[in-house]
Amino acid sequence: MESKPRTDPDQAPRPPSSGARGPALIELHQVTRTYRRGGEALTVLDKLELEIERGGFYALMGPSGSGKSTLLNLIGGLDRADGGSVRVAGEDLGRLSAAELARWRADNVGFVFQGFNLLPVLTAQKNVELPLLLTRLSAAERRRRALHALALVGLEDRRSHRPRQLSGGQEQRVAIARALVSDPLLILADEPTGNLDRESAGQVLTLLRELNERAGKTILMVTHDPRAADAARTVITLDKGQLGGIRQNR
Amino acid sequence: MPWSLLPRHLLARPVRSLLTLGSLAIAVFLVCFLRGVVVALGAGVEAASDQRLVVQSAVSLFVNLPRSYQPKIKAVPGVRQVCKLQWFGGYYRDPSNFFAQFAVDELLLFDAYPELVLLDGDKTAFWGQKTACLIGRDLARDFGWKVGDTVPLVGGIFSRSGQNVWNFEVAGIYESRTANFDSRTMFFHYDYLADSLESGAATGPEGVGVYILKTERGSDPTRIMAAVDALFENGPQRVQTTTESEFQKQFVTMLGSIPTLLSAIGGGVLFAILLAALNTMLMAARERTRTLGILKALGFSDRSAFGLLLGESLVLCGLGGALGLLLFMALAPGFNQVLSQFNFPALVVGPQTFALALGIALSVGLIAGLAPAIRAARLEAIEALNAER
Repeated sequence: MESKPRTDPDQAPRPPSSGARGPALIELHQVTRTYRRGGEALTVLDKLELEIERGGFYALMGPSGSGKSTLLNLIGGLDRADGGSVRVAGEDLGRLSAAELARWRADNVGFVFQGFNLLPVLTAQKNVELPLLLTRLSAAERRRRALHALALVGLEDRRSHRPRQLSGGQEQRVAIARALVSDPLLILADEPTGNLDRESAGQVLTLLRELNERAGKTILMVTHDPRAADAARTVITLDKGQLGGIRQNR
Repeated sequence: MPWSLLPRHLLARPVRSLLTLGSLAIAVFLVCFLRGVVVALGAGVEAASDQRLVVQSAVSLFVNLPRSYQPKIKAVPGVRQVCKLQWFGGYYRDPSNFFAQFAVDELLLFDAYPELVLLDGDKTAFWGQKTACLIGRDLARDFGWKVGDTVPLVGGIFSRSGQNVWNFEVAGIYESRTANFDSRTMFFHYDYLADSLESGAATGPEGVGVYILKTERGSDPTRIMAAVDALFENGPQRVQTTTESEFQKQFVTMLGSIPTLLSAIGGGVLFAILLAALNTMLMAARERTRTLGILKALGFSDRSAFGLLLGESLVLCGLGGALGLLLFMALAPGFNQVLSQFNFPALVVGPQTFALALGIALSVGLIAGLAPAIRAARLEAIEALNAER
């Protein structure tokens, strides 16, 4: 899958950059997100400025309520900002309709969730094939690509297993296979090791790192776990809806 | 569209799916059955010939008309043929073996009712012997009668001296090509009855129950009816001439509000099943919240979510409807055999039954699936994913 060309990269004022490897893939400008609970307004992201470089592996850290998951959802097109702009690969997500945003997600983003979010009625292979149903690929080609993705995460032999027949670590690796099967621009992982034991968590982090280093995938991972954050190359810290700091590992 | 999820979702809760499918099947079966009864009751009216008129006493159907009326009626312009029809009211051995018997002008019967087709025997044998009779295909089957057999009937309205037994020789077996006549009726010579009454060998009401008029093609039935009624306006017995369909309607009307009641029961069954299907689909939609969230996060559209839920409802209800229809088709012949013993017209199974069953099932599926499908379409991905946490 090819990334879309960026539009007017130099016209907006440059927000804090999180790295220097290449052109910014994600640009957040004055992003605000406010939730209303029982008449009370809660600002989770407050005029956030941030740039994420293409090809990076980022850990997004911060205390609970700092806006990490909200930020991930905005970048993934699952939620919309109340103010400011979210641009990914030059596309202003705020300008897309619901249907366009759904299509954009299918084309550009692979999600990995803390709770795995596999469909329990489908086998591992069919779960991985799901995003490919939105393409024009033949059934045989979908199957071939799903098996290839499962092989990449070391679970080709579990293709006929249903999620409940897999361990937590295996489920998360199937979820990673599903996230990468459509060759997305960006992989967004929300606490991918949060429900895993230490060994499984290590396997998942190694896998994500390999995807970044070998396949050049841009990965943004929300985590509370400092060990998980160490697997990333860049650690972004959020605090009360604003950028708290950016640190390069090693 | 992830259609492959549809059967898997249906099978995810097999007991619930089977119960819903079963209730739909039973509801469709019941509606088909009730509708079949209502249609069968009205079948005679529907199939009535527009070339036949019926002359009966203006007082009551149970008051006979003089035999002398026949030539006078035949002389009315536009009338081609007039055939006597007299209800006999006997039974075979036991009153429970009751079926319809009519004394007729044997030479005019096939002209009056061209829809009667002989399956066995021949007309000349029927015409040539005074005690000859024609029996319907179902009578022959139920009692094992065949051409050449003697059928002894015990008189009901007409008592025969001695043991009150009237003997008839089976000269032919007929079936009716239309629904206005069933295949459980016996026809015999009017003269056999009349001669027996005149000779004192039997007792019973004189005259003729009704006259069946066959009109000329292109004639105006309204004018003929008025002319016949006017003919006997001053007696000795006033008559009422109606179309055959109006005549048939009298018998349906005699059942009072039964057709309406049956239709109401069918409607009630449908409404109850609609609520059950709606409940099932609402539960299914709630269970699918997380799945829908995942699908939407992966890029499936709101339309896909809508289609998935509506499709599930339509498939479930459609299968239930098809099962109910198959059940009805399988059991209808058995029901008809039982119903025919009570002289009840046969349940109608035809293209309309198919359309009714599938129409009902798919309508229930559409209505029951619409609200959950709209909810699924409106569901936000992030809201759906968070709902299960």
